[in-house]
Amino acid sequence: MEGRCAVETWTEFGFLATSTIPKVRFGTDVFICTGSDEVCVFSTHERRLKAVLQLPGPVTDLVESHDKQLFYVACSTGVYCVNLQSLLHRAQSSSPDASSNPAELKISSEFLVIEADEVSSLLLVGSVLLTVCQRDSSWLVTLIKTPEQTPSSSYEVLGSFSLPLVSAVVQGDTESKTGRRRTSVLICLHSGDTAPLTLPHGHFCLEPVLFKLLFGVEAALAKSPVILCGLPDGRLCFLPLRLPGARLRVLHSLEQPVVFVGASVVMETGPGHAQCLVAMGEQGRVVLIKTEKGGSEDGSSLAGFTEGLVAGPVQCGCLDRNCLYYSTGSDLLLLDLSEGSSGKEGKERDEETSRKTLQSPASLNVCSVVALAEPTSNTSGEVQLLGLSVRGQLQRISLPARRKDAGLSKLPSTQVGRSIRDLLSAIGDVCERASVLKTAIKSKNQILRHLNQVVNISFLLTATSNTEDDPAIKEKPIRCHAMTSWSRLLQTDSLNLTCVLDNSSPYVLERGWTLSITVFPLCCSSAAREEISSTNFSFPFQNLNSGETLEVSLPIAAAGDSSIPMTVNCSLIFSLSSLLGEQEAANCPGLQSSNISLPLNTLTVDWLNALQLNSATARHKMVTFQSGSITTDAIQAFISSQQMRCSGRADRGGESGSTPEKYSASVRVSLELLKDSLVLKNSNLDPKVPKMAPESLCSSLIEWLLSEGPGGVKMGHQGDMISLSSSAVHARGPNGATVKLTAKQINVEEENTEKEERLTAVEVQVESSSIAAVCGLHHAVLSRIQIQQSQISEALGVGMTAGQMNPALLSVYQELRQNPLLII
Amino acid sequence: MSHKMSQPPSLLDKWIQENNELVNKCKQEKERDTMRQDHNQPHLRWCSYEFHKLLRKIQGIPPNTDHTQLELAVVYNTGVCATAQSQFSEAQLFLTQAAERVLQMTGGETGASDPLVCWRAVLKSVENTHLHPTVLYLLCLQWAIWLATCQLETIQEFQEKMSSLFETLCGGVGDGGISEARSKSSNIPLLVMDLRRLIELLQICTSITLGAERLTEGRSSEALTGLQAASSLPAPRALVGYTHLLSGSCLTHMRRPQMALQCYRKALETDSRCVCALYQSMLIYRQLGNTQAEIQALRLLHSTLMLPSATDPALASTHLLSPSSLLCSQSLSSLLSVPSALSVLHSLALKCLLYGRVSEGVEHYLDLLAVLHSEDQQGLHTQDATIPRLPELYLEAGAALLMARRPADCLALCSEVISTTLELLPEKVVLEEPEERREAETRDMEGENRVAVVLWTAAAYLLQGHCHSHLKDWKQAVTHYTRCINLVVKVRFKKRDFQPLIPSADMDVKQGNDQCVLQRLKGLSLAGRAISFTQTDKLKEALRDLQLSLQAFPECVGAGLWCGEVLWRLSRRREAAACWEKTWSLTTQSLVKNLPVYLQEPQSGPLLDSAELCHRIQELGPN
Repeated sequence: MEGRCAVETWTEFGFLATSTIPKVRFGTDVFICTGSDEVCVFSTHERRLKAVLQLPGPVTDLVESHDKQLFYVACSTGVYCVNLQSLLHRAQSSSPDASSNPAELKISSEFLVIEADEVSSLLLVGSVLLTVCQRDSSWLVTLIKTPEQTPSSSYEVLGSFSLPLVSAVVQGDTESKTGRRRTSVLICLHSGDTAPLTLPHGHFCLEPVLFKLLFGVEAALAKSPVILCGLPDGRLCFLPLRLPGARLRVLHSLEQPVVFVGASVVMETGPGHAQCLVAMGEQGRVVLIKTEKGGSEDGSSLAGFTEGLVAGPVQCGCLDRNCLYYSTGSDLLLLDLSEGSSGKEGKERDEETSRKTLQSPASLNVCSVVALAEPTSNTSGEVQLLGLSVRGQLQRISLPARRKDAGLSKLPSTQVGRSIRDLLSAIGDVCERASVLKTAIKSKNQILRHLNQVVNISFLLTATSNTEDDPAIKEKPIRCHAMTSWSRLLQTDSLNLTCVLDNSSPYVLERGWTLSITVFPLCCSSAAREEISSTNFSFPFQNLNSGETLEVSLPIAAAGDSSIPMTVNCSLIFSLSSLLGEQEAANCPGLQSSNISLPLNTLTVDWLNALQLNSATARHKMVTFQSGSITTDAIQAFISSQQMRCSGRADRGGESGSTPEKYSASVRVSLELLKDSLVLKNSNLDPKVPKMAPESLCSSLIEWLLSEGPGGVKMGHQGDMISLSSSAVHARGPNGATVKLTAKQINVEEENTEKEERLTAVEVQVESSSIAAVCGLHHAVLSRIQIQQSQISEALGVGMTAGQMNPALLSVYQELRQNPLLII
Repeated sequence: MSHKMSQPPSLLDKWIQENNELVNKCKQEKERDTMRQDHNQPHLRWCSYEFHKLLRKIQGIPPNTDHTQLELAVVYNTGVCATAQSQFSEAQLFLTQAAERVLQMTGGETGASDPLVCWRAVLKSVENTHLHPTVLYLLCLQWAIWLATCQLETIQEFQEKMSSLFETLCGGVGDGGISEARSKSSNIPLLVMDLRRLIELLQICTSITLGAERLTEGRSSEALTGLQAASSLPAPRALVGYTHLLSGSCLTHMRRPQMALQCYRKALETDSRCVCALYQSMLIYRQLGNTQAEIQALRLLHSTLMLPSATDPALASTHLLSPSSLLCSQSLSSLLSVPSALSVLHSLALKCLLYGRVSEGVEHYLDLLAVLHSEDQQGLHTQDATIPRLPELYLEAGAALLMARRPADCLALCSEVISTTLELLPEKVVLEEPEERREAETRDMEGENRVAVVLWTAAAYLLQGHCHSHLKDWKQAVTHYTRCINLVVKVRFKKRDFQPLIPSADMDVKQGNDQCVLQRLKGLSLAGRAISFTQTDKLKEALRDLQLSLQAFPECVGAGLWCGEVLWRLSRRREAAACWEKTWSLTTQSLVKNLPVYLQEPQSGPLLDSAELCHRIQELGPN
């Protein structure tokens, strides 16, 4: 067989239960029953699924009436008669808009015409409906007269014929082997001289001599059609329909379940009658039944049975003029039934091969076909098969044209060369198509994987946001922290924020993600600024693996800008359109705007972050820590630097008039409380730490204030400088005003108690000529200390009982309330 | 009990109401069904299901004296529905359960596995209580189940007791029962089938079944007594007809054909659709040799069978339980069996032909062929093999047409047979000894067929030869007779002991049927060809063929007479006279009934007048 088969998939049902071999009735409408309760009706003209019939039980077979108006469906409870057209009409009139969708038709018991259990096969001969069912001890063929006119009038049983079951052992054996419920195969044979002109599905016209030889003179004389039934036990039995006193008789036994029975012309010139009856068993046994002229010793004709074996398992088969097509599930094969390569010339060869063996089958390289229609050939001689694949695809399989001079050896070399070229180019075509398909599948897989990551990340981020009540403990695994730094460009100082996106989740942030940072002033309640100048920065990025960080820089303020403090909102945005390629995305305009936005965390840039230290010359970035551990680390450093254990409480700062700055503000913090709390929080530390020197304590405090900001914003400068510059820092604020930040240890007398106790405190003093700077810095210092305190008090809750903790906190707040912290 | 009293009456009333509604619905549907002649009875299944549901509800609580009357009525209704659907084991189960519950309630002895013992216990326990008549309903149903499952011994064992009980029961239903029912009409659970009707039905059906069984066992006179007694019972016509019919069969067995005929006539008078009575009468006429009556009976039988009502069950009933479901005995059904309409038609045609009603016979044969070729398959799918095989039927019809002097039609029929068989004719075929062949028959259908095909084709050629000679087309006649001869000589005998093959007159025709047919074919075809030769003055060939013919088939009258004629024409007058006299001495009847009609000697064609031949012999003188 030269050339290849072209397979065109018409539709895909995507079902197919494997319990039964599906029965398919091909015609203008293809009826498919898969052993479930449903029958699918596929229109080959419109190439669409027309209707789905829902029956009350598993469907075993169906048959169309000769005028295609009605069809009969055998179901486990009986035979139903359905007029598809009228049902479709009714369904459409009830819901006219659903005409494009397949109609779902429920076949209820009102359509039941014959009550019978487990009818396995149906066939319609004229107005007689035949059913085959298996009873306890026999096979039963029942003839039922269908009414001519109304489908509702009575169905009359004309007679029934039984054939005893053979030993069930063989049958049970094959059943268990294949795990499928077998059904019988039913066809009708007409003698060639008496056959009607058009033969419906399952009807064949057999050459008269063969007909007489097989079924007897009486059947021929009565011009009776003969029913041939292939049973799962391997027997082929026949029954002449119109013969008085006829019995169901066995013609032959394949000794394996009969899969297919058909009749073929085999080398007859012209539109002759079928000269060969073919039956095929499940395990690949083929029997050809032909007339053998002068076969017997007395010179009369005999029916010759030629048995052969092909590789099984045979799923289905069909016949055309001289070829048997059958599918093993893994391949579609063609068995040439003609004797010899060409009929007329090889008379001697015919003689030899008439005692013959079968030719070897040729592969057509089409896999997973489970049902086949009778082939049709078009004008160019191309044979087309209609098949149903195991995955539920309805396929048209076009076989390449068979040349008249099909004998391979007779081809001239030029033709051989050409056919090789054809083959090669065909292989090339296939290769190309395969690679295109492969790429498409690959990209789809990629997208799916990508989408999976996105969904994972979304769940991760939204899940943690739900448990946000304890942010210190449950940090988001993907978050931002930031550092501020001043840079000088073109004589202008500007404050830059370096944002670091840290991916500590197990997932990869892939193409399509964008880090979005929104910066807006914290004090936006002012009515004067209606339009809040929020600035949005987007940073699309390609890939951020687990454990990796992404660093982006953005300018937040130029020198002289006074919009500090600012809030920095970080979020991750995923654009769905990035999943698809550009072309695909362009095809879906709705997708362009569909984004997933996942909020990360919020940072605050305050005055402390925005200070430009005067003494700073060398700018160097501090090592970035994770914001969660930074707090504790800084405190740890702060604590370990303290050499002296101080006791006392926070003292409020009064004004110190000696300073040259016009404005000043101070905050006093009780060292003892703070330190105790810190010791308690870091309970793994030794409580009897060496006492910190007051000087170093103050400088540590300044360092901490300058380095650590609320919500993880750090100041990217100085470091070693602070330790040198003791406890006073001179800096320039973002508005250009000079500020001085000092911390000193003071002893405060308790004013409102009688105790003559002196408390040690640290006073942080802010001095500047700009009131804005003083206010801003004071707010920043205060808020940091407050945040620190609140963190500590939370931590206290871990290690202390409420009775211990409450008085301590209460005292702090009492002090804070009674003594104004801010004095101008 | 007192706290219960407030609740159960309402429940009881509800159940009674439900039961009565179901009963009414069931009866209505039944009437509608008999109008529609629907045999499917979908409503019956539904009713059965609903009754069963109700029964389960009622039996869901322990036996209660207040409910028992209702419960037993529902058991009866459910059981009747199940029996009507031939679900006997289920019906039996309902009865057994009900009996158990009655015994539990009355404190009787439960657990008897034997139904008879169980029923006796139940009857004893309810004796002289208000439950007694209700329990008898169930006993009736039990009887019906026993009858339907052919447990005749059980019935007989229980019969005496039952018949006395039923008398009381029927009386009760007749007077007290109804007045009681009227007094509290809504409170009485209705029954799906009237009890009196059921008892009547049971009694006659039991008699019929018993009669049939006894008849089959050969106790004809015993059966006759029972059946004659039963014929006076009140019952549907069809059943009374059966009693007469079976009485007739008993009388036939007792060799009283005339009395049997009377019984069959009575059966027909009672039920005009009793085809079996017609068939049996026909058989008696045949036995008595009354051909005219036999033909008449056959004709009636056929027309009755062709009536549309003949396919309906003869025992369609207006009641739920049909008699046919109670008459399940194997022997009864074999006694009632009637051949198919097709077979009757064939018998009729053949009888007409054999007894001189040729034109009538031809019509019947043509009807027969028309039925066989009609699209309407009615009555074709019967399993009885009493009609001959199809080619033989064609040949018989052809012979009939020839007898009716319609040679053209005969030719057409024969050529149809020939065209069918022609391609299958073997070069030679071996006809084996009868005993051997009998074994071979079962083994190899094909071999048997090949002999038959040869014989059919030869017979068709023979008939065609007859037709042509009837048309005085001697050349064609010779051709066809020759074809027949050529075919016949292909058949070889195979015999173990090489005895000469001259079939004797006393040879059992049935046994060596094929051989006999073959010899007749040979003799008749040779004789036919010889006669044709004589018409074309080929006397030598004619004489040779006639002698060969007489060798093959010595009883052939035509061949003997024509042999004499040829000898006469060849001036061998003494031999001719001897030949004629020998032929006349053969005491052959004109038609041999055991052979197919197409193998009879032709009544057409050139004939010789025996009187004229006698005259010639007398002229020849004694010397």
